[in-house]
Amino acid sequence: MSAGLAESATGRMALALTVNGRLHRVEAEPRSHLGDVLREGLNLTGTHLGCEHGVCGACTVLLDGEPARACLTFAGACAGAAVTTVEGLDEDEVAAELRAAFNREHALQCGYCTPGMLVAARDLVLRLPEADERRVRVGLSGNLCRCTGYAGIVRAVTGVIAARRARGIGPEAGAARPLGPVGARLGEAAAASRPPATPARAAAPAAVSDLAGDFAPAHRFAQAIDLAHPPEAVFALLNDIEAVAACLPGAVLAGRPEADTVEGGLQVRIGPIRATFRGRARIARDEAGLSGRVRGAGSDAGGRSATEGEIRYRVSPGPAPGTARVDLDVGYTLTGPLAQFGRPGLVRDLAGRIAAEFARTLDARLSGAVGPAPAALDPFRLALGLLRARLAAWRGRA
Amino acid sequence: MKPAAFAWERPASLDALLDRVADAQGHVKLIAGGQSLGPMLNLRLVEPDLVLDITGVPDLRQARVEGDALVLGACVTHADIEDGRVPDLTGGALQRVAAAIAYRPVRNRGTVGGSLVHADPAADWVSALIALGAEVDLARRGERRRLPVERFVTGALDVALRPGEILLGVRVPARPAATAWGYVKHCAKIGEFAHAIGAVRLDPAAGTGRAVIGALEGPPLLFADARPLFGGRIGPDFAARFDGQAADAALLSAGLADAVARHVHVTVLARAVAQAAKPTPLPLPEAA
Repeated sequence: MSAGLAESATGRMALALTVNGRLHRVEAEPRSHLGDVLREGLNLTGTHLGCEHGVCGACTVLLDGEPARACLTFAGACAGAAVTTVEGLDEDEVAAELRAAFNREHALQCGYCTPGMLVAARDLVLRLPEADERRVRVGLSGNLCRCTGYAGIVRAVTGVIAARRARGIGPEAGAARPLGPVGARLGEAAAASRPPATPARAAAPAAVSDLAGDFAPAHRFAQAIDLAHPPEAVFALLNDIEAVAACLPGAVLAGRPEADTVEGGLQVRIGPIRATFRGRARIARDEAGLSGRVRGAGSDAGGRSATEGEIRYRVSPGPAPGTARVDLDVGYTLTGPLAQFGRPGLVRDLAGRIAAEFARTLDARLSGAVGPAPAALDPFRLALGLLRARLAAWRGRA
Repeated sequence: MKPAAFAWERPASLDALLDRVADAQGHVKLIAGGQSLGPMLNLRLVEPDLVLDITGVPDLRQARVEGDALVLGACVTHADIEDGRVPDLTGGALQRVAAAIAYRPVRNRGTVGGSLVHADPAADWVSALIALGAEVDLARRGERRRLPVERFVTGALDVALRPGEILLGVRVPARPAATAWGYVKHCAKIGEFAHAIGAVRLDPAAGTGRAVIGALEGPPLLFADARPLFGGRIGPDFAARFDGQAADAALLSAGLADAVARHVHVTVLARAVAQAAKPTPLPLPEAA
């Protein structure tokens, strides 16, 4: 363990940081980002936190002399680094010119974006002495301001650049720096265990509407799955809720309070994202038309993301005799952090992968297999290949 | 907007890292610059038990020329490439892509390896490195292998890493001066994720070329042989021969049903072709 970091028994890291020229030793949980370490640990509240996911730029600080997002730099990632916050720019020559220009041009109103704006602007002034107004606007596009409309900010930064150019000051060569993320020091070993788990919050009750009224989904897509079994057999199996749940990857059936209502959960994965939705669904079928409708609603464990959706399905004869095609019309609305991150395309990509696995296990069950289908059996390979082809054709914007 | 609690470790050598990845229990995530994983942790979309910081491993923070390929360690940042701190064998192609990724504070920490492993379909390196014919070096304890990037990226946020396996770096083949390069992305706001990406690497003298349509919902659409996009022949007049309908048909058969989306992707690819036809070196794109 290096001098920069040591693990204490509480799951916190003892962290050495040079902040605004002074060496500090702070304790932080591994999950604390640099913005919180500065604000909560060192009372340097000049660094502002806006979006906390790297978009707004309010938290931009200098890390080993280069601008970086404090909200996306975790404590353990910058052990031993030199940090300069807006408080540390009092004596900085370029920052002083920028402050005067911001004052002159009315480049701030509420001031929330200003610390990050000054750090980003200082970087532009030093790196791009030839920048014109357009280039300055482009260069500041990673810092959001909701008051000024940017006009004053751009005038201020452009003015400082022009003034320095008039004084014959060239671009800063940039100190030699090792390859890799700024602030990440080689040889700074670091470790902290996970803090003792706090008692889990009781899962918020799933946000379940009455599932009866009209539902206007925010997103819709269509999908088809092909199965090597007759339509009637497929439609019959789709009525067996336990079987359907067993075939649906990540699905757990918890109960069936009414004949047409089921309760349960669905665990989904998109890359590193893992979310478990719990909720309720109501099922309606049209026996004559070999079609049906599933309307459901649920929320994830913390009740932070919620979804409501409707799947309409119709079973029809497939391209070959004795085969079936299930056409799915999926509509859904997603709210919460998952929606903030997830673009509709990613949800469709995920739904495609779930559908492929669903069809594979459904096919296996229809063939009389119990449990997951053995992958070695040729008919399954065939069905899977068919599905992959469908999937490849389906991926894309519906 | 605070992550769920996780443990943090920062191995100091590649062997220690591979041992830890092989033996660690629970949900383990590797972090380099954290510019893609960080937001997902903060939003609690990802709640790992252990985060392994790989930026302390010297092997991953190197760049070198091996034969006619540039080998970039996984932790080389976009800004390292933008600023020319790594050798250039691509006639400025990598530099121009790097300079237009997100914003400067993001480029100062975001890494080429992290971007590839995160495999967001709209990320620049996913499309650009496929068009350049790059490969990735992968390793797990006692085992190494190499894959073309197009076989590494298998879906949206999905890659071909096996359990215990990490990405060591990326090998970018040299781009001879005679080849033409075009890379264009469409963003509604500067620095945001692209809505469409077009990339071409064409060799008019040899009559060969690769083309990529990226920022789709799955992995990029690669034309390993781009001749069908140019009426069957890639010559010095390739820009005039570009066939947007061939690209449109390929997108349609790949499942892109929305005609407007196809039009945007074909238009962006056409711009990449037009850019490739201009004499190099091109000025750096306007980057945030």
